[in-house]
Amino acid sequence: MVSIIRYVRNIRRTGIKQWWHQMQYIGDAKAGTHVGTDQFGNRYFENLNPEDELPGRHRWVDFAQHFNNATQVPAEWHSWLSHIRQLPPSEDKVMQNMSPPWKAPWTENLTGTRGAYRPYNTVVPKIRAWQPKVASRGESNP
Amino acid sequence: MSFARPRLALGLTPKLITASRSTALRSTLIAHRSISSSRCSHAEVTDTPGKINDSKTIKSPVGTGSYTAANEPDKYIDPYKDGPGAIDKAVHLFFFTEIIRGMWIVLENFFRPPYTIMYPYEKGPLSPRFRGEHALRRYPSGEERCIACKLCEAICPAQAITIESEPREDGSRKTTKYDIDMTKCIYCGFCQEACPVDAIVETQNQEFSTETREELLYNKEKLLANGDRAEAEIAANLHSDHVYR
Repeated sequence: MVSIIRYVRNIRRTGIKQWWHQMQYIGDAKAGTHVGTDQFGNRYFENLNPEDELPGRHRWVDFAQHFNNATQVPAEWHSWLSHIRQLPPSEDKVMQNMSPPWKAPWTENLTGTRGAYRPYNTVVPKIRAWQPKVASRGESNP
Repeated sequence: MSFARPRLALGLTPKLITASRSTALRSTLIAHRSISSSRCSHAEVTDTPGKINDSKTIKSPVGTGSYTAANEPDKYIDPYKDGPGAIDKAVHLFFFTEIIRGMWIVLENFFRPPYTIMYPYEKGPLSPRFRGEHALRRYPSGEERCIACKLCEAICPAQAITIESEPREDGSRKTTKYDIDMTKCIYCGFCQEACPVDAIVETQNQEFSTETREELLYNKEKLLANGDRAEAEIAANLHSDHVYR
């Protein structure tokens, strides 16, 4: 019962309140170092100790919103959370240098809401619908 | 009628006497893995005829196309040499050893921590070359990269890209229409490989599922917005892979 020992140990590390919060969302008692917080208030944690966390479960996010989904993670932290980048974006010099000044604010996947993307044509349509024209009836017609 | 072949039945008796208890147990648990179904791996050539080496008429080097149907390679192989006998097979069959070993593996993993990754709080590893949602990139000055060469449209095997272009007021050729039908796209990555200016890329975003089908018909504004949001991640991934391209 290795996992029960780990479970109790993580509750002792994080405290009862944080354990209850984790049980509402991630469903497991996890303890790790707080790596950073993004602009939306999502908090990112890491625990590289293989005694505590299995490899692959060593990075996780604690969402700020109750109704959370994976697209609430901005792109910089997404590449850290998906193990693409080793360093978090607060320490990653490459990603900081690559960030352009015209970078747009991150929006989550807005499907199903009023902000959802609706496709539209960006050019003048080449096919026009047929407009019926009725010829006026002449006086001389029988 | 004997179920065991005589040679193996004779070989079984001294093995049971001389073998110690631990090796017998280990051989029971490890060596006789799925005895009834797996092929015997002890197949050896029992007799080498040496016909080919002795022949003086063959001009080509030994073993190159010199085999005929008369000396087929598997002719002198005994696939049942050192294999389990019928008594061994019957013992493992009647005592359910395979089922018990399978249940033992289940019991072992019951006491181990689970490997379940709790999505979306935790995620599995992605490659910097992962091919997800498309995006159109800009130069660091903010100028859009796409020059409307239509190479991506030409190479797209699903024909999901539609491009129309016009010269802009300053004379540079830009796209007026860049549509990708994401329901047609097969995410092969040919478009980003064909692009000479790295304009169309496939980002690492895979969470772009939509409620309706029409939301997947991306136009140029949507693709540019994708690039503007994720430019730091795209550029960092291209930078980390640029030595291999």
